[in-house]
Amino acid sequence: MSLNNQVFLRMIWGVVLLLGMSFITFFLMHVTPGNFFDSLKMNPQISQETVMRYEQLYHLNEPLMVQYLHWIGNVIRGDWGYSFYYNVPVTHVLGARLWNTFILSIASLCVTWAIAIPLGIWAALRHNQWVDKILSVVSFAALSTPSFFLLIILLYAASHWGGLPLGGMHSPNYEDLNWGQKIVDVLRHLIIPTIALSLASIASLQRIMRGNMLGVLKQQYILAARAKGISESRIIYVHALRNAFNPLITLLGYEFASLLSGAALIEIICCWPGMGSLLLTAVRSKDVYLVMASLLLSGILLIIGNVCADILLTRLDPRITDAKS
Amino acid sequence: MHAKPTAVLIFIALLCASPIPARAQSYGGELVVTVGSDPKTFNPITASETSSSTVAGVLFEGLTTEDPKTFEVIPNLANHWDVDSQGTTWTFYLRHDVQWFDGKPLTADDVLFTFNDCIYNPDIPSSSRDVLTIEGKPFKVEKIDAYIVRFTLPVKFAPFLRAMSQPILPKHGLERAVQSKKFNFTWGIDTPVHEIVGTGPFYLDQYLPGEKIVFKRNPHYWKKTAKGDALPYLDKVIYLIIPDSNTALLKFIDGEIDAVGVSGTDYPLLKPLEGQKHFHIYEAGADFGSNFIALNLNFRTNPKTHAPYVDPIKLSWFKNLNFRRAIAHAIDKPQIIQILFKGFGYPQNSPMSPSSGYFYNAHVKSYEYDLNKAAALLKEAGFVKDAQGHLHDAQGHAVEFNLLTAAGGAERTQIGAIIRSDLERLGMKVNLLTLEFNSLVTKLMATYDWDAVILGLTGGIEPHFGKNVWHSSGGLHLWNPRQSAPATDWEKRLDEIYDQGVQELDQVKRKTLYDEFQTIAAEQLPVIYTVLNTDMYAIRTRFGNLNPTPMGGPFHNLEEIYVSQ
Repeated sequence: MSLNNQVFLRMIWGVVLLLGMSFITFFLMHVTPGNFFDSLKMNPQISQETVMRYEQLYHLNEPLMVQYLHWIGNVIRGDWGYSFYYNVPVTHVLGARLWNTFILSIASLCVTWAIAIPLGIWAALRHNQWVDKILSVVSFAALSTPSFFLLIILLYAASHWGGLPLGGMHSPNYEDLNWGQKIVDVLRHLIIPTIALSLASIASLQRIMRGNMLGVLKQQYILAARAKGISESRIIYVHALRNAFNPLITLLGYEFASLLSGAALIEIICCWPGMGSLLLTAVRSKDVYLVMASLLLSGILLIIGNVCADILLTRLDPRITDAKS
Repeated sequence: MHAKPTAVLIFIALLCASPIPARAQSYGGELVVTVGSDPKTFNPITASETSSSTVAGVLFEGLTTEDPKTFEVIPNLANHWDVDSQGTTWTFYLRHDVQWFDGKPLTADDVLFTFNDCIYNPDIPSSSRDVLTIEGKPFKVEKIDAYIVRFTLPVKFAPFLRAMSQPILPKHGLERAVQSKKFNFTWGIDTPVHEIVGTGPFYLDQYLPGEKIVFKRNPHYWKKTAKGDALPYLDKVIYLIIPDSNTALLKFIDGEIDAVGVSGTDYPLLKPLEGQKHFHIYEAGADFGSNFIALNLNFRTNPKTHAPYVDPIKLSWFKNLNFRRAIAHAIDKPQIIQILFKGFGYPQNSPMSPSSGYFYNAHVKSYEYDLNKAAALLKEAGFVKDAQGHLHDAQGHAVEFNLLTAAGGAERTQIGAIIRSDLERLGMKVNLLTLEFNSLVTKLMATYDWDAVILGLTGGIEPHFGKNVWHSSGGLHLWNPRQSAPATDWEKRLDEIYDQGVQELDQVKRKTLYDEFQTIAAEQLPVIYTVLNTDMYAIRTRFGNLNPTPMGGPFHNLEEIYVSQ
């Protein structure tokens, strides 16, 4: 089967997967007791009739299946529904925030991979030497530090010594800056949340990379390469690295899905105008369509990420295409 | 001539002691404050939570308003008004100098539009309609001339003038949305900010979701100072959206924002910084609203399962007044205030907050913390403690019940834990359960399968707006909601008070009625009140005319606040 057919088949499966996922979440959102307008019921100045009028307006009285089909039909036609809370289309509520969360996640992803991979290789090459041991201790410490706790400490440090902005994404005078200054401004605001978000992932990815590399270096073909007299740097950076890196590509595919959902707590503490606090309130107050829209987006990203990872893998590892054909 | 050194010293001491030295008012400057979450809409009629109403409160105004100090109703968009001898026909005379942000004048048509086309429109669900209807009947709103409006009420309605603080909307801005039945989705957060047209002191200049809301000075604002100077003073007011209160505190200390709400636990951190960081902490008074324990007194059976809502054994305890009083005596309010609010709080005995002014009755029965008294009351009610210290009722059933709280409110869970430990000393077994807010509401409002709950409700100045809680037909009459006829004599009396109070236009007679309501509530204890925190705000000293109140918060008089040069 050609690669194109493969991709096409995967996409079809992806759509089926999305439908299943959306149905299960929709169902789960509704089996838990109560609905969005419960908070109105606890207000002494709002009558039962008003709450019922709201429920009618949003078709909350109809059977679950009817509500779901109604929703999914609209989604296919491009209408993602209205948010109960905001009374505007969910796409508008998510719009700008999606991009902001994306910026933060991408920054953290780049920092994580740019630091963790070289560190992992370094630790593997210095196996059991002091560099490796120190890196191990530091990694475990970083892994066991909750990111929100780290963030609060960073914010206190910034408040004490100054220099970096305390949360937010833009300076108050952002509109008056030229585009170069604007980029610098956003980057400055990115530093603290990115560090908090990346530290634990750097630690874990570094450990994985180190383990993979060590595993590969023990393989027979590395020994064979050394016996053939190939230079050590070529063995490590061409032969070993390529094989050690393969499992991480699948991981990269999964990281795609967490691009939209991985930073909620950090965003809330840091006032990053992303989807974090928005989604937390939406889930807790049962703003169903807002939650569904963001879940669907994460699902789509997960599937795209996986397909991309698979394509990359077939490019990098000839064994996979060979085995299939 | 030499001034006496002591006199100079006293003078200097006085200067240092007064938090805000008198300064001249001046125009310009900006104020940066915080709001906990994004506004959900800019439409004051569909707004139903605090962030949206905070924003709407800056942009829109009503015919009347409340004096933040005396709580009296004072003129706002209406210059003055009169009422006929029956007390049902009210005529309002609008100011002639009020302009919408786009320069069009405010007229009687806008008032008519707000009431007849928006609030009383059956297609538009809103909480305003519930306040502005009497027994399901709307007010009749008519135009007499361009600046005179007449309201005809079906019956006398004492809270009428207070209800007239309802924000007025521009007919020219919203008429088309109402006609095309799009009103519910109009003026949402996707609307270009300059289309939001109000009459307030500041107009909306910018909204960045998740970041900030920027207001700018309305140069055509009608309100003037007593000397005739134009208001407002400030050029710009910025609300930064900061969901996390710790971050807000850091930003405040750092100087990025000018004011922040202060909790008792923040106080020891902030107080020493007052001089160095140029701010002052205002203690505005007891919070509005309430924190209480309710016991389920619902004696009815579930029509579907024919099982009683409440276990009849538990119901027999809860219905026993001495049992409820024993619980009231077991609540250690001073300790709760100390632990939760670091001493900044008030014990609550009456259904109304001590901050609510005229209608608050300070002389209701209070229940001091006294476990011996509680034990004596339980004994009187036939409860006995066995050798292991467990409490049993007269029939020998061990006393055990579930106490529910909503997840997320850490304060109430803490209150629950303190109360539980004291109730356990009385021999009761109390299971403290934390439920997700929606599950809790379902139990309280629909399935009625609960024993006891720790809860809070919002409060206000006007006692009638608590009718849904205190009238036996009310849906929030938590302990036994939606009764067709009052189950007890005291509930019958409460119904009478609420039915009479709303018709009584004489303030003194009204006060007597609502005093009696608070007395009954404290005597009969259908809900057992706990504590209220003190509302505190830290604000930079460079701002003048500050007068924070629990009702209005720190910036209810935003147009009068200025920056001293």
